[in-house]
Amino acid sequence: MKPLKKTETVFFSREIYSEEAVSLAAAVFDGRAEVSLSKSKGGVTARVSGPENSAGEFCNEALNQQCRLDLGRINSRIASLISTKALLSAAGDKPSARK
Amino acid sequence: MPKNISIEVSLKKYSPESVRYAAHSLGGEAFAYIKPLPGGRAAVELAPRPGRASAGLARRFRAELEDEKLRERVAGENRELREFMLLKALNYRPKPPEKDDSGLTPQQEKELNDLIAQIETEIKAEASGGASSDPLGITSTWEDKYAPKNGSKKKR
Amino acid sequence: MLLSNDAGFTAALTGADFARYAAGRLKTGALHKELAAKGFVREMTDFEGCAAACAKKNAFLNAGPGLHILVMTLRCNHKCLYCQSSAVGAAGGGKTDMSRAVARRSVDFALKSTNPSITIEFQGGEPLLNWDALRDAVLYARRRGRELGREVRLALVSNFSLMTEEKARFLVENEVSVCTSLDGPAGLHNRNRVFTGGNSHSETARWLKYFSERAAKQVPDYKTFNPSALLTVSRFSLGREKEIVDEYVRRGLQDIFVRPLAPIGFAKKLWPSIGYTAAEFARFYRNTLAYILKLNAAGKKLRERHAVIMLEKIVNGADPGYLDMRCPCGAAIGQLAYNYNGDLYTCDEGRMVGWEGDDLFKVGNVLKDSYRKVMLAPAARACAAASNLELQPQCSRCAYKPFCGVCPVYNYETQGSLWGDMPSNGRCALSMGMFDALFALLAKPASAKILKGWVAR
Repeated sequence: MKPLKKTETVFFSREIYSEEAVSLAAAVFDGRAEVSLSKSKGGVTARVSGPENSAGEFCNEALNQQCRLDLGRINSRIASLISTKALLSAAGDKPSARK
Repeated sequence: MPKNISIEVSLKKYSPESVRYAAHSLGGEAFAYIKPLPGGRAAVELAPRPGRASAGLARRFRAELEDEKLRERVAGENRELREFMLLKALNYRPKPPEKDDSGLTPQQEKELNDLIAQIETEIKAEASGGASSDPLGITSTWEDKYAPKNGSKKKR
Repeated sequence: MLLSNDAGFTAALTGADFARYAAGRLKTGALHKELAAKGFVREMTDFEGCAAACAKKNAFLNAGPGLHILVMTLRCNHKCLYCQSSAVGAAGGGKTDMSRAVARRSVDFALKSTNPSITIEFQGGEPLLNWDALRDAVLYARRRGRELGREVRLALVSNFSLMTEEKARFLVENEVSVCTSLDGPAGLHNRNRVFTGGNSHSETARWLKYFSERAAKQVPDYKTFNPSALLTVSRFSLGREKEIVDEYVRRGLQDIFVRPLAPIGFAKKLWPSIGYTAAEFARFYRNTLAYILKLNAAGKKLRERHAVIMLEKIVNGADPGYLDMRCPCGAAIGQLAYNYNGDLYTCDEGRMVGWEGDDLFKVGNVLKDSYRKVMLAPAARACAAASNLELQPQCSRCAYKPFCGVCPVYNYETQGSLWGDMPSNGRCALSMGMFDALFALLAKPASAKILKGWVAR
């Protein structure tokens, strides 16, 4: 017997969750639950259809994405320097400089 | 059935970022949802995950919120210094060991080293050639120098 | 209360002291002096010293992949319950064997790494099932390493069931270190590691003894290595900490690597019967460490490898070269997995995801792509970004951040995205449990003395 699908609607206020965060959460949920987003007054409404607790998990993911965006505003420069250094150290010299 | 919890917070006292971080940190225990309220407030709704209890959630949230407020202040005060330190670390090259500065030019140093080597060679040659290490006889006694060689000594 | 900073210094404070410190009221005394020396007091921070410490701890940022995993075959003659290697049956027909040509190209590719020292690790399935190609690759790697003046370490991960005297001699004489799995006493080991062709435990024990005896007699012509063993903790291991550790002592092993199971690959499907919660693993790890320390206090030499790795960072401020716990993680830029057909993946776990039909972690092919292209492949860049702790909301504010790392593959397999969501992430919970156990022991003088002795220079 297939697990029952539950459908819930959640409104994400623009004052707390950016549209980008909710969209990213919907992308993460691809394959896990059906999520359809629609713009509403003051924010975004998400219709989440999936196994039990899908709506709760989706709320957590939207919050996760928003927190990542918040952190990125402060730390993206130093994060980028670290990742770039690691990648370029691994990649080595540019082809023109190679012996 | 565990109870859902709703906690009201002031967005004048706590920034929206710190309220979000605090709610996010409880994601292992509960589903978190935040909605704005009139008058610069927000409601944080926490629904315990299946198998988890709601007891202590509100207290933990408030404790996390206070911690976030402290972190926000400290991080804000130190952000530029931290970036400065991390940039230094990313570009860090250990300093080479300092050379002793004798005050001489390289040419003078070479001449001095050559002179020292020459003297050392001469000393070695004298020592290995069997020559006395005391060519002026300074360490010899009067008897050694002037006593008759037939071995008799003047009796007193 | 534990404080830590980017330079890797830590300080343990009582609640009251922390309150004074946070309020700016801790301005004199021994504690203030200690905090100042460790970079926790802004006005007295030695930035040069902190930058140097931070650079030392993150030395891996200056070099490329040091670990190159060659999957010699997907065939295996074991059916381990928790197998994550996507192994197929031993018969297989050789279709999933790495050819000599691909193995040689893989060695050449590995030697292009910007890391001055590389390790080529032969894995599988069971790599001894493809002995000819393995043997050729060893000789080729040694020759090319000499020609290029490169330091090349060779390692073999095997279940030992197909080992012979001839093969063992070859490995020893060509300085190939060996590693196997030892999950505990025979009953437990064989339950986890099903071998229908015989007794997995007795083969493991037999060859551990052989390699240990060879390592005890160093010869001038080549270096010999002590064999190492890994413990994979399954549900059946829980509660049997003492028996497992005693087995390692009985076999004369000096290290035990307590590895938690991850719900990746085959283990994912069997998780309900072989898996456990993070809290259960934390209890297992604490009990195991406690027993190991007890043995140490009684004069027995045995170290736990995870602890050693973390202690290198915590106590020595060094980079232990452990790819799973660093920022960014070692995906592609720290290690590469070379599949039998030459496909390159960010890591062995990424390769397993590929075997399940999802090539998200594929970074190229050794026969077609340049080294630089592989290092800068989209998957490599995505993993570097996703595992950057500066952008992880929970990690960026965690006291264990200077010593920890996230795994994008784990996050993807369990939470649907490379970034994951740490508050509900199983691997984060496991790591925290291990750090909690270690720091609690470091706070006690007697156990701290033993632990610090494990990494004393």
